[in-house]
Amino acid sequence: MQRHVHGGGPMSLALRFPAGADTDTLRLLADLAGEPTGGALVVGDERIAEFLVAFGRRLLAPALARRWPELGSLGFFLRRGEIAKAVASVAEQPGALRFPQGLIFHVPPANVDTIFVYSWALAALAGNRNMVRISARSAGAAEAVLDALNATLADAHPAVRDTQRMVTYGRDDAVTTALSAACDLRVVWGGDDSVQRLRTYPLRPAARDLTFPDRSSYSVLSAAAWRDAPAAARRAVAEGLYNDVYWFDQAACASPRGLFWVGPAEVVDPAQDELIAEIAAVVATRAPAVDASMAVQKQVSAYGLAAEGDATRVRFVGNAVAAIELARPEAVPQHWLGTGTFAYARIDRLTDLVPLLERRDQTITHYGFDRAALVEFARALGGRGVDRFVPVGQALAFAPVWDGYDLLREFTRLVTVTMT
Amino acid sequence: MIEGMFSLDQAAREKALLPELVALTGHHREHSTEYRRLLDALDHPAGRGYAAVADLPWLPVRMFKHHTLRSIAEDEVFKVLTSSGTTGDVSRIYLDKEAAGTQQRMLSATIRTVTGPRRIPMLLVDTRALFKNRASFSARGAGVLGMMNFGRDHAFALDEQERPDPAAVKEFLARHGDRPFLIFGFTYMVWLYLYELARTESLDLSNGILVHSGGWKRLADQAVDNAEFRRRLATDTGLVRSHNFYGMVEQIGTVYLEGPSGGSLYCPDFADVIVRDPQTWAEAPIGTPGVVEVVSTLPRSYPGHVLLTEDLGVVYGIDDGDWPGKRFAILGRLPRAEARGCSDTFTGAAR
Repeated sequence: MQRHVHGGGPMSLALRFPAGADTDTLRLLADLAGEPTGGALVVGDERIAEFLVAFGRRLLAPALARRWPELGSLGFFLRRGEIAKAVASVAEQPGALRFPQGLIFHVPPANVDTIFVYSWALAALAGNRNMVRISARSAGAAEAVLDALNATLADAHPAVRDTQRMVTYGRDDAVTTALSAACDLRVVWGGDDSVQRLRTYPLRPAARDLTFPDRSSYSVLSAAAWRDAPAAARRAVAEGLYNDVYWFDQAACASPRGLFWVGPAEVVDPAQDELIAEIAAVVATRAPAVDASMAVQKQVSAYGLAAEGDATRVRFVGNAVAAIELARPEAVPQHWLGTGTFAYARIDRLTDLVPLLERRDQTITHYGFDRAALVEFARALGGRGVDRFVPVGQALAFAPVWDGYDLLREFTRLVTVTMT
Repeated sequence: MIEGMFSLDQAAREKALLPELVALTGHHREHSTEYRRLLDALDHPAGRGYAAVADLPWLPVRMFKHHTLRSIAEDEVFKVLTSSGTTGDVSRIYLDKEAAGTQQRMLSATIRTVTGPRRIPMLLVDTRALFKNRASFSARGAGVLGMMNFGRDHAFALDEQERPDPAAVKEFLARHGDRPFLIFGFTYMVWLYLYELARTESLDLSNGILVHSGGWKRLADQAVDNAEFRRRLATDTGLVRSHNFYGMVEQIGTVYLEGPSGGSLYCPDFADVIVRDPQTWAEAPIGTPGVVEVVSTLPRSYPGHVLLTEDLGVVYGIDDGDWPGKRFAILGRLPRAEARGCSDTFTGAAR
């Protein structure tokens, strides 16, 4: 379902959090410019931390977490301990004081319902005043998030209300222009096109962009480890892969688009068949919502790869799973093929991937490799591609270091005091 | 009455189509590298036997938007048909001289089932302006032009600004209205322009034979469905012979035509439809809606003989209607699958 929530006239914004009457950019910016109740926010501000923890607790309520599993992950991210850890990571050093950037304008993706909360929560925790543009097309989990935020506000410190705004506005260049011109940092998530378009709206000279453009992600699996793994471990891998793939419709930046098996063909071939069977078993219990449109989408993609000679074998297990044997590792798809597409290729060693990977590639989920092998792989890549290596099942687990940026550092600034 | 291209009952149709379609599958495998690779990847090796038309591998119709699929050499391409899609992607259909001739011949044989063997005067519910700009010659223009062959003494019901042209329609009726004449147009245009005009001006369309295409979606806000369309045309204009048809550029020359009593489409003898359950992809039982697969023996220059459309349809019955074979309807379109994903932030705002 699509909702079209936006204000009426030009420069008009619908206030989603704190929920309220439509406003306009002048009023929005004026409201945020005032001194918050209890004084300006500081890095790791307890008033904000308190609010985030209470909000996270709401997300972990069984009814909500069952309906929107991705909100459960967000809830875990906002536990007291995690927040304390994040704040500690930007603790002041002697002679270097840390302060918020000031006013941050967030433009999160329309379609990944919860990513805006991570970026906003860290920016708020860093003591910033924030304006978050919520897409008019937001739905589902995003609505649940806004409801939970507003519900948490009732018992929150007034400083939260004084400093944080989430708004929806339609096709209004004037609003984007005004918010861009007012902010100290603009955080842009989303496709390359979105980033380029946003860049046409000028920032103040001292302000800058933090951009999260299109990314691709992959999975690497050790065939030998799979061969030697007991049934329970194999099932755990399949479940992890299931979560990585089916949450966010396999369309998040970190969702794996291709699987690379490492090992000789005689070990990989049975492992691949067994993995698809395991995934089919997980699919049977989880029953992902894969409708006819998605099934056709996957057929179109898979058949297309076959027609172009990039795939040598295409199999479907119901509508949920498309297994595509790639003709060669280089044929791995960089683009979205439809939810539940497992395109796989075999390689001899991890470092075979080095020439294939590039700046655009973000997450490698791994199974069956030791730290030394992964570090060797990362060193061979030398930062030219891949920002993150995480175990299978954790592709979508947001971390305060994202796309190579330590977000709390990005959201703060240092003031140094030198005596001699 | 000779039913022309609508004569085969389902058993005879299956028997006639199966060997031809199997042979076509082999033909395209041999002449299209892309198609051969696809069949190989889907485990449909050369020489594989098929017990039923429904067992043949299908091609999703959207493939023609993204891939070059033809079974003729580049220098044999006589005509490239294109259709604009919803997202701006365009299907490209390659015809050689022979295929271009065949599709026109079979289309004409199909349409003559309802218009009779001779060309009759023809009223087009469209505008002459369609043909003015050859560079931007649209799918609509191509459709209209193709149909013009079935009539003579053509008149256009809309002027060059696409407004109803009462004078042109009245002049046409004064000259030809007392004998059978052909009316062609897109369903919503027939309804919005010709029906409105005929009703308000009390025009007599009782000798008209209407052939129209296009869905009912654009008329949904006026609460007009096929039954209401036929009833109102009959009551208010006297037009009782009305035939909707279903077809697509990816299977050019094959049209599925509404029977005389209305409400159901039928397959010409060289074609068939299979409605598939979108979960199992097995053939859906009669009365159960599903995704429409269209098969036709016409496509020889490109592998379009077995296509999975993105239309939803239902088979109402078999060998129990105006004409033999499957009696079916198109119910709408499958919505396009959408990715959530991070790659869509700001472009959405400007749409």
